[in-house]
Amino acid sequence: MKKLLIRIGMVLVMLVVLNWVYSKWFFEKDLRKHSDIVELSWDVVDDSCRIIYLGESSNNNYGKEEINHRKISAFTADYFPTVKMGDLTKEASHAQTYLYMLKHIPASSAVETVVVTMNLRSFGPLWINSKLETPLRKQLVLLEDRPPLVNRFLLAFKAYPIKTEEEWNELVFEHWRNDTFNIPNFPWRTTADWDYGMYSYGWYDFNGQRDWDLTALACHYIKTYAFQIDDDNPRVKDFDAIVDLCRERGWNLVFNLMAENVDKANELVGKDLMLLFRLNRDYLLKRYGNLEGVIVVNNLSLVRDVNFIDQDWTTEHYYEEGRRIIADHLAQTLRNFYPDDYHNPDSLKMDTGHYFLDGTIELDRQNPYSMTLVLTADSIRPDWGMVNVAFEIKQQDDLSKPIFAVEKHNSQGEKSIDSYAVNEPVQKNGTWDFATFALPIDSTFRTAQKIKLYVHNFSESPIQIRNFDVSFRPAYLKPRVKAQSMKAE
Amino acid sequence: MVFNSIEFLVFLPLVVLLYYLLPHKWRWLMLLAASCVFYMWFVPKYILILLVTIIVDYSAGLLMERYADQPRKKKTFFIISIVSTLTVLLIFKYLNFLTANLDQLFASLGMETHLLTHIILPIGLSFHTFQSMSYVIEVYRGHQKAERHFGYYSLYVMFFPQLVTGPIERPGNLLRQLHEEKQFDYDNISKGMRLILFGFFAKMVVADHLGEYVDEVFGHLDEYNSWTVLGCMVFYSFQIYCDFFGYSTIALGSAKLMGFDLMDNFKSPYLSKNIAEFWHRWHISLSTWFRDYVYIPLGGSRVKFGRWAFNILVVFVLSGIWHGAAWTFLLWGFAHGLLHIVEKALRDKLPSKELKSKWLKISVDALCMVKTFVLVTLFWVMFRATDLEHLKAIFVTAFTNFDGGEQMSVKPGMWIYLSVLILFDVLLRNTRFDAWCDGKPLALRWLIYAVLVFMVICCSSVYNFPFIYFQF
Repeated sequence: MKKLLIRIGMVLVMLVVLNWVYSKWFFEKDLRKHSDIVELSWDVVDDSCRIIYLGESSNNNYGKEEINHRKISAFTADYFPTVKMGDLTKEASHAQTYLYMLKHIPASSAVETVVVTMNLRSFGPLWINSKLETPLRKQLVLLEDRPPLVNRFLLAFKAYPIKTEEEWNELVFEHWRNDTFNIPNFPWRTTADWDYGMYSYGWYDFNGQRDWDLTALACHYIKTYAFQIDDDNPRVKDFDAIVDLCRERGWNLVFNLMAENVDKANELVGKDLMLLFRLNRDYLLKRYGNLEGVIVVNNLSLVRDVNFIDQDWTTEHYYEEGRRIIADHLAQTLRNFYPDDYHNPDSLKMDTGHYFLDGTIELDRQNPYSMTLVLTADSIRPDWGMVNVAFEIKQQDDLSKPIFAVEKHNSQGEKSIDSYAVNEPVQKNGTWDFATFALPIDSTFRTAQKIKLYVHNFSESPIQIRNFDVSFRPAYLKPRVKAQSMKAE
Repeated sequence: MVFNSIEFLVFLPLVVLLYYLLPHKWRWLMLLAASCVFYMWFVPKYILILLVTIIVDYSAGLLMERYADQPRKKKTFFIISIVSTLTVLLIFKYLNFLTANLDQLFASLGMETHLLTHIILPIGLSFHTFQSMSYVIEVYRGHQKAERHFGYYSLYVMFFPQLVTGPIERPGNLLRQLHEEKQFDYDNISKGMRLILFGFFAKMVVADHLGEYVDEVFGHLDEYNSWTVLGCMVFYSFQIYCDFFGYSTIALGSAKLMGFDLMDNFKSPYLSKNIAEFWHRWHISLSTWFRDYVYIPLGGSRVKFGRWAFNILVVFVLSGIWHGAAWTFLLWGFAHGLLHIVEKALRDKLPSKELKSKWLKISVDALCMVKTFVLVTLFWVMFRATDLEHLKAIFVTAFTNFDGGEQMSVKPGMWIYLSVLILFDVLLRNTRFDAWCDGKPLALRWLIYAVLVFMVICCSSVYNFPFIYFQF
């Protein structure tokens, strides 16, 4: 026994010596090689960096045909020319990655404000159990707060989830099959049921044949966004840890909730999915928006479908205009921290086909019309096939009866009005909510001499409308059989 | 559960601790449960296949013994057992290959068939079925008494250190030891730890680093020149050796911690002077299995040259097929058999002359070793190729693209790891690492441990390379 104890003692001494040798000569090289996210923290955040922007692919993707490749972080930095902003962007990263990046920002840095990308998709099972998790989690092993030799030992013995793509997929399927929606009267029990419902009934083309591409895309939207964030979500835990860390280090914290393609989600799947967007957004705003020292910038519905690069997949990759819109929104928040450094670079340049009427307006019996977009016949381009309309709405009670109206004047001076109820998307009174509409540009549009788009409230109960956003784009959708009324199998 | 994982590093000490804490009568149960956990860590449902073969072979053993005086009945039970075990092997290992080839055959005759199956190979199937068969054969031959205790028999098949990639044990060695009451012995712990450490070094430091180069080059042949491809052939030779040798050594070490001595599977095979010697040093448990249960029953070497050559070819082709259900493995086995025959024929023709000069003898031996290594290395390409097309592409690139393509640079660390491995291989030619350490001064021993521990922890590859022999 004595011999054994002596040997154990010798092993301990040996490990202490090896740890010293490894820390002194090998650890930093290994960190740079196997955990390159820390390299970003070290190299980007220099002594004079006051704001840092942590992002994923939403920050550095641009359209192939675009001349301007500048990132959201770069556009945001334009608003604060006297404040140095560092950019820590790593593809496919999420809150856990950001947490480790932040932990490794040197104590000597001048960082005052941290902007952390909050990606709604990253809370869903599809991302949480993505095959990219294996390399991401592997990166984090060396960054744990343990003796370097222990970290290297754990890396050597693969102390991170090693799973094949099939195994990761199986975890996703389990969530889709077993996570039930906790929403009263919600027509779907699980994501899998919903997906099957869409697959079964789906989309049809002009000839009444199944449009499998569109159906597959609709199913993909369901699989991506049909989840409910709760306190047990691993990303929530990571964001909580980021809040704690930023408080500990005295940093202002801004969560930048990225825009998702709600237009397309609405068109393809409809109000049930929009409800989940709203519930998840509200959860995040409630959990983090009320914390001292934390601001959540809500960009979720701010970017229109035309500004999304990937039209056949769910990403947060935006064209320049989308990037600029988010940067502008973020800059307005950062202005609270740096009022004297703020400088408005250029007003947003909108492409033809995109109209943005800002400001807030109250509609009631006396003043029933919102801001109105008026278009003449020659402004409707022949290649346009769809129009997306989005605005934010706040109503006091359920008595208001707002409609979204498309008023068309023909050459004889006669007018016709197509109206759409706005109440339907509004879930909660007294809070800002968003409404989106996607309308085909049919022959009545093309033959009209003048077109007006506006919201009309003809009830006594007042409502408020803001950020009226209209975008025209080529048609890519075919007429559909209404899918929203499907029931779970 | 794989050996080079955190799970195993927690699992093994726990099992060893429990093993010594429990009274002898309960140890088999704990080891069996541990072995089940170990196996089910991969794909739990495949344990049912093991259960079926265990029940069949256990029953066959008992029945053969009961009807020992009725040869026909005894033989019937023997045949049932062997056929059922081989059927399991056929279905799970060879059916995909057979159906794919049948589809191709019918297609060449103008008929469209869809016979192809997609059955996933249960891990370690070839190993434990062979171990199971060795028991049945030994009982049939009367060399081994049938095991009456179902638990001990199950443990013989499932003993976790050697369950998934051997060594393929014999009942005379393992089953006997399972019944013995082992006492805690510091020497066993020390030797076991040494073997495990050395196994980790071979697998995680040498094999996995080599794997990075091999996978890159063999996966992108069009990008590299002949020198690089030839270099990677050599790298693959060492990769497969270190991978399998590493695993076997960890298995030996793990068993040794509990006082079990498993058979050696490797004895510096690349220092063999001819292919016959190579097979006495490489995967010894498999080559002796084929020797005892196929080669000798076929007549062995006590027959005419033609018949002997036939026996050799049968054994090596079977060995090739044992490794994998693909034409490349069959070709690999055939090539080894052919080389074996050619070498024997040449040896018989050439006059044997004892060399007087020591240095001349060393030089000739060294040349023979190089010759054997080169040929074995060329043959390993068949083992590595994914199919015949890939095999052709590797050889074409290796010998016709000296001017085009990139030359891959190898990091200095790789040469250091390889040199350490070769040095140890020479030093351990006729011994084992645990025994070799015994004679060394304490300071030197601990210096070696420290260097190996450092290399395993700090220099091991961070990429995940499953053990190559898992696929068999």
